[in-house]
Amino acid sequence: MTAIRNRMLTNAAAIAVAWLAGMLVASAQSSAILDQDAVVANTVAGEAAAAQSAGKFRSLDEDVQSLKKEVLDLNRDLFLLEEELLFPANSQVAFFISMDVGEYFELDSVSLQIDGKEVANYLYTEREAGALLRGGVHRVHMGNLKVGDHELIAVFTGEGPHVRDYRRGATMTFNKGIGAKYVEMEISDRAAKQQPEFIIREWE
Amino acid sequence: MKGLKPTVLGAFLGILALGSLASSGLTGQPAPDFALKSATGKNLRLSEYRGEVVMINFWATWCGPCQQEMPLLEELHTRYQRVGFRLLGVNIDDDSRRALQMVDDLGVSFPVLFDETKAVSKLYQVEAMPVTVILDRAGTVRYVHHGYKPGYEELYLTEVRSLLRE
Repeated sequence: MTAIRNRMLTNAAAIAVAWLAGMLVASAQSSAILDQDAVVANTVAGEAAAAQSAGKFRSLDEDVQSLKKEVLDLNRDLFLLEEELLFPANSQVAFFISMDVGEYFELDSVSLQIDGKEVANYLYTEREAGALLRGGVHRVHMGNLKVGDHELIAVFTGEGPHVRDYRRGATMTFNKGIGAKYVEMEISDRAAKQQPEFIIREWE
Repeated sequence: MKGLKPTVLGAFLGILALGSLASSGLTGQPAPDFALKSATGKNLRLSEYRGEVVMINFWATWCGPCQQEMPLLEELHTRYQRVGFRLLGVNIDDDSRRALQMVDDLGVSFPVLFDETKAVSKLYQVEAMPVTVILDRAGTVRYVHHGYKPGYEELYLTEVRSLLRE
């Protein structure tokens, strides 16, 4: 009897232990599943939020780019309109300076007179003169002139050969017809005479 | 009657302050560009200093407060030049030789430009001496001071420092 009772007690204990173990495993599994669900839910929510904010930034960036393009287009249109209104093509005349010198002349300033009236007086900084030497062309004056003959006097001031102050004028009579007129004044070396030379030419 | 005296005094001081520290119509506008010959013989153009805080000080040899102010401006120039501050002195004397002599005597090292034709001082609405204009890095006029009294240099310091920090 005792042996049977003991055996029954042992079996009951074993069953209880097994049942308890089973309960523990089940609860761990269910909490793991819940955690996983929470993690998945969090991840999904996080991704959604990230996607939303990335979307917001993208749309903001697009807005900024579009605004920038509008501003540039407007700036271009205003520039063209200003030119058309202030300097209509039929009376427009523009004067440009270019340099092709190495040794004989360091440009300081240029003054322009048209038909005896001073229209431009420009001081060149070191940086600007350097830009001209590197091939830049400077539009020193733009204005309006009537059709007919006009006289241009350009006076160049700077440092000439042997580091001496140098002031030289160049004059030209040009005919302003219908349509815009462009005149270039080029300063270049004249090796034969060891002097700079100043050439005024019209662009065709 | 008791209360009248402080009120009148206050109003008078206010008017003085306004007159000396008043901003001109240039404040908030892009600074008019110009190029002038400097004391070293080089031409300097304002727009080439874009990106730096610039102070333009208009002065003349016959102006007493200008002479008083100049050593203080020299200190400002020495202290902040290496952190992006430029000070340009624009002299408006008819004859630049006197200005050159004064610059030598005062030991000024910041660039001094000569506006003999007064073209630039007209652009900046200079009517009385000295006039100090302070530009931000974008070339916009932020502060304009007409005249000089001891203590103004503290204001310049505050303004320059705030623009350098921008």
